[in-house]
Amino acid sequence: MVENDSVTEKKPRIRPIVRLGFFLISHSNYVSLLCFLSGIVALLLLPILANNTYISENALMPGSANSMLSTQHVSHANKFINDLTHSDIESHKTVAQYMSALDAEVTYHKFYPQLNQFHPLHFFTSSDSGIISKNISCSSLGINVAGIIRAPRGDGKEAIVLVTPYNPKKVGPGEALSLGIAYSVFSLLSRVTWLAKDVIWLVADSQYGEYSAVSAWLREYQAPVFHEAEIVNSETCNDSIAISELGQNPYSDRNSYGGFRRAGTMAAALVIKVDEQGNHHEDSLNIYPEASNGQMPNLDLINIVNYLGVHKTGFRIKVKKMFSLLGSRWLNTLGGIFESLGQIARSLNPQWKFGISATEYVEGAATLASSMYSQGLGVPTGSHGAFRDYQVDAITLKISPKDSPTKMIRRNDFILRGGRLIEGVIRSINNLLEKFHQSFFLYLLSSSSKYVSVGVYMIPFALLVAPLPIVAASLHADASKSTLQSTYSSEVEVSHKSWKWLNSARKVLVIHLWGAVVSLLPYFLYQIPNSTPTTNFTVWGILSAFSLIILYFILGSPIFEAAPSQPEKGEWASLKSVTISTAFIGLSLMSVINFATAEIGALLIVPICLMARPLKLDAQARSWRALLRATCNLALGFIAFPPVAYFLVKGAFEDFNGTNVGDYWNWVESLWTWNSATYLYVESVELT
Amino acid sequence: MSTKTETPVKKKNQKKIQCFWSWVIGSVILRLIIIYFPKNLNLSSRPEVSTPLTSIRRLAEGYWLKQSSMSPYAGSMYHGSPLLLTLLGPLTVKRIEGQPDHLLCSLVFVIADVVTAMLICAAGKKLQAAYSSSLQSIGLHHLSEDSDILPSGDFAALLYLWNPFTIVACVGLSTSAIENLMVVVTLYGACARLAPLAAFGWVMATHLSLYPAILIIPVILLFGYGPDAPPRKLFRQRTNLEVDDSASGDRSCLEDELVNEKRMLNVFSWRPVVLFLFWALLWSSYVLVLCGIYVQQHSGLQEMFKSTYGFILTIQDLSPNIGVFWYFFAEVFDFFRSFFLIVFHGNILLMILPLALRLNHRPCFLAFVYIVLSSMLKSYPSVGDSALYLGLLGLFAYELKDMQFSFFLFSGYVGVSLLSPVMHNLWIWRGTGNANFYFATAIGYACLQIILVVESVSAMLNHDRMITKLTTAKLQNVKS
Repeated sequence: MVENDSVTEKKPRIRPIVRLGFFLISHSNYVSLLCFLSGIVALLLLPILANNTYISENALMPGSANSMLSTQHVSHANKFINDLTHSDIESHKTVAQYMSALDAEVTYHKFYPQLNQFHPLHFFTSSDSGIISKNISCSSLGINVAGIIRAPRGDGKEAIVLVTPYNPKKVGPGEALSLGIAYSVFSLLSRVTWLAKDVIWLVADSQYGEYSAVSAWLREYQAPVFHEAEIVNSETCNDSIAISELGQNPYSDRNSYGGFRRAGTMAAALVIKVDEQGNHHEDSLNIYPEASNGQMPNLDLINIVNYLGVHKTGFRIKVKKMFSLLGSRWLNTLGGIFESLGQIARSLNPQWKFGISATEYVEGAATLASSMYSQGLGVPTGSHGAFRDYQVDAITLKISPKDSPTKMIRRNDFILRGGRLIEGVIRSINNLLEKFHQSFFLYLLSSSSKYVSVGVYMIPFALLVAPLPIVAASLHADASKSTLQSTYSSEVEVSHKSWKWLNSARKVLVIHLWGAVVSLLPYFLYQIPNSTPTTNFTVWGILSAFSLIILYFILGSPIFEAAPSQPEKGEWASLKSVTISTAFIGLSLMSVINFATAEIGALLIVPICLMARPLKLDAQARSWRALLRATCNLALGFIAFPPVAYFLVKGAFEDFNGTNVGDYWNWVESLWTWNSATYLYVESVELT
Repeated sequence: MSTKTETPVKKKNQKKIQCFWSWVIGSVILRLIIIYFPKNLNLSSRPEVSTPLTSIRRLAEGYWLKQSSMSPYAGSMYHGSPLLLTLLGPLTVKRIEGQPDHLLCSLVFVIADVVTAMLICAAGKKLQAAYSSSLQSIGLHHLSEDSDILPSGDFAALLYLWNPFTIVACVGLSTSAIENLMVVVTLYGACARLAPLAAFGWVMATHLSLYPAILIIPVILLFGYGPDAPPRKLFRQRTNLEVDDSASGDRSCLEDELVNEKRMLNVFSWRPVVLFLFWALLWSSYVLVLCGIYVQQHSGLQEMFKSTYGFILTIQDLSPNIGVFWYFFAEVFDFFRSFFLIVFHGNILLMILPLALRLNHRPCFLAFVYIVLSSMLKSYPSVGDSALYLGLLGLFAYELKDMQFSFFLFSGYVGVSLLSPVMHNLWIWRGTGNANFYFATAIGYACLQIILVVESVSAMLNHDRMITKLTTAKLQNVKS
């Protein structure tokens, strides 16, 4: 047409940025390959780019005061441990007795262990989940004991929480030791004058899992739910009568209160655990920071623990590593290469200091991989995860003694060191004037004293994802061009050339809708009583297939019937461009929510998206190159599928077994679905 | 087009109309399903859906205040119209046992949505008929047949009904559904040349949300010149030619067409415009009297103006929304505040005149552009506003077929509307983000709207240019 030509000819002068865009789009293949490879290289460079941590908040002043914990407190703690392990009366009574002897306000918190529920819409519906537990037998009642020391200098508006999970049915030596450490600190804190924040010591009943106990207590603390039904229910139980008697017990005395007591907003929480096994080279301290959905506590909290552990108490601070990576040969060679590169760089200019030794690199990479894995999985690594849901920074400190806790000769020394560390951390947090806000929330740990901040780790991700919009744009341009040429004669077709993508967008929408339906299904399946994981899983599979068929009949049929009439190649290109752009949107969205998941997802999805091509076209081409590409596609599809399937199976099983709770399911599950939706979609593209 | 192809087209149209009704019913059912979700998925408390002006919770509060014989505007909670209080207020209190709260209110909004869609559909049909006849009168018969193929009215109505933004605003109990209804009533009344209806719509829309006041220009143009048509000079050229032709040749066969064109050419008919203005005056005095009676006991109309229009213009509520004003006015120093208020509101007024001059032959499209601009630059925007202009966009499907970046805009809207709740969650609930995160999505959204306006206007102007070129080519052919 004359008009169209004249319109295009009217723009001879193009601005440089537009020209750059055109250049990128026209060379999309090379650009995307380059971006992808450089993204992977940048990802591997992350351990080198890690910075040393530093304490960002000035008010913390860790280690500025001498420790006040003395051997006297430790001997009290020893007595407490002995009483706990050897006495006949129920252990929570012992704990409460000791607490109230320290002038702390003691309360019992009864809770029903939360059955694991899957809430797909939790993220959007509300933050306070009014979850009502029904039909739970009285025998499964857990009892948390919480002691509160009121700060002599505070106004009761802020608090620090110490958590020690233990199993009241069978108190293990490690648990007893952790209770002892907490007790020694608690007995000190009840006498000190400098305390400005209340201290809560929560002895969590971990017989139904640590996480559910702590989260039940937190739910009661932060968002109490008042229903008549539950109270009536608990009153009818024989157990609960026994518990209510506890308060009136003659010798558990003046400081025991009936109701639930609170102590202001929580500044931070520490979960203290002691490893059951000994046999380590030295006393070490493992830090577990990851909460649900890859959320991390403020880096300053880890910094304090690290600083005090290294400089004051001489613990060896560790962060979880992926041990399988430590021995891997390719990582070692890579570390060697980077080391030599660093040396060369230093010989060129001594001020470039990015070289690190090969062993350091491997250690950093292993830690980083484990940090990324546990963030990406979205499962909290301990009961501290429950705190993060209420915006409280919390970490788990797992202390591993040199010898086994049962036959420990230097138990007093161990309690003293552990207690001093906890005391120092609490004293530091006590100095805080505001909430933790100075340091990072978004980071990956590459060792206990090194971190990769968000500004650095976003670079490899951006490079990985960058090919998607470029390829989508180039495909879109191709598609509209080809339809323009092929249907030049008929004006009706030309008239819709700009809106050509609508059809393919509809197809993608249908597939994604199906993905959403499939991801919502477990929620409804969960309502079915008395079902085993396997039956649930098969039902789920059948239902999802069924829903696909229904969707195909309702929405799909007009779409699929319209498809063959259009020129196949252009149709395919626009379809692919729509998918790739949705993948891009999804990945960027996920990177904001949970970076690690997005990074892992990008590694899987980006190559699939870029390589996908319809098999039919390849078969028609019949050149060896096309065949190679086709086999590549099939192989990639095959490789990508098993992890997805594995994740799906695992996810379904974990869900129905009830091991994990909360809205992390939403995300992990949605990612899986999303994965599978994209995969299915790519499959459909390949087979058209 | 030959007669062979005409029958399938007709059949297709019939089939489409059947589909149309089933799609309408489907959208209503979808709304009802979402309403029956527990707590409406908390949509009514999302900042994207309910602004201080449109939130149903504030309305219920205002109604409660009124019931306890206080001024509904006491305590700076309610900022809407008193008429909405009388209409929706009783419905917020009524609960039906076993049914979700606010069920009656939601039903009102669903009905409002459906009526809006029907009016858009009717207006679209009127516009389309007028447009194809005007195309025929300048001799572009094949274009007019083309434009008939896509039933843009149905298309726009379905676009409005199935737009996720509309659904979310409706289920989130935002009163913007009623504001949108009033705007569409204005446009429909003007297209159908019903002066009382158009005046009612305009007065009510202005009363409810102030910004539709600028729609008076497109409405006057609509009454003066008639609905959207190609540039007027084309008709003039054409008539000149016809007059030349008819002077030499036969007169009788062209007489009908000439009369028709006279109407088109009739430069500006003042009578309907004056009628419209008269009705507008009547309706506005009526509305004012009603409001006056309602707020009589509590310091009268002055307080009402202060806490509705004054609240809109001075931007007192800085709680986050999808607009760009809250962030800016949270940062700005107090002594610059009034200056920036003038600058920001001046932005809308600044663009009114040039656009009116350039697009005066397409008043409906002009109204669309004004609506986009005002929903971008208004002080408390919500997704309900974008729902309206995205629906109206469908009316110009034929003219905007060559719009560039349509796919980019689509992905942008999808991305921003997904990213915005996530950023809000990061900021408010997780505490790992901050206000800048959320504001970034607001800026992205504003940019998308700017691109939409620029691209749609340029596509429309290109369309005009194409028509001009075709007619001049034709005229030259005839002459030579």
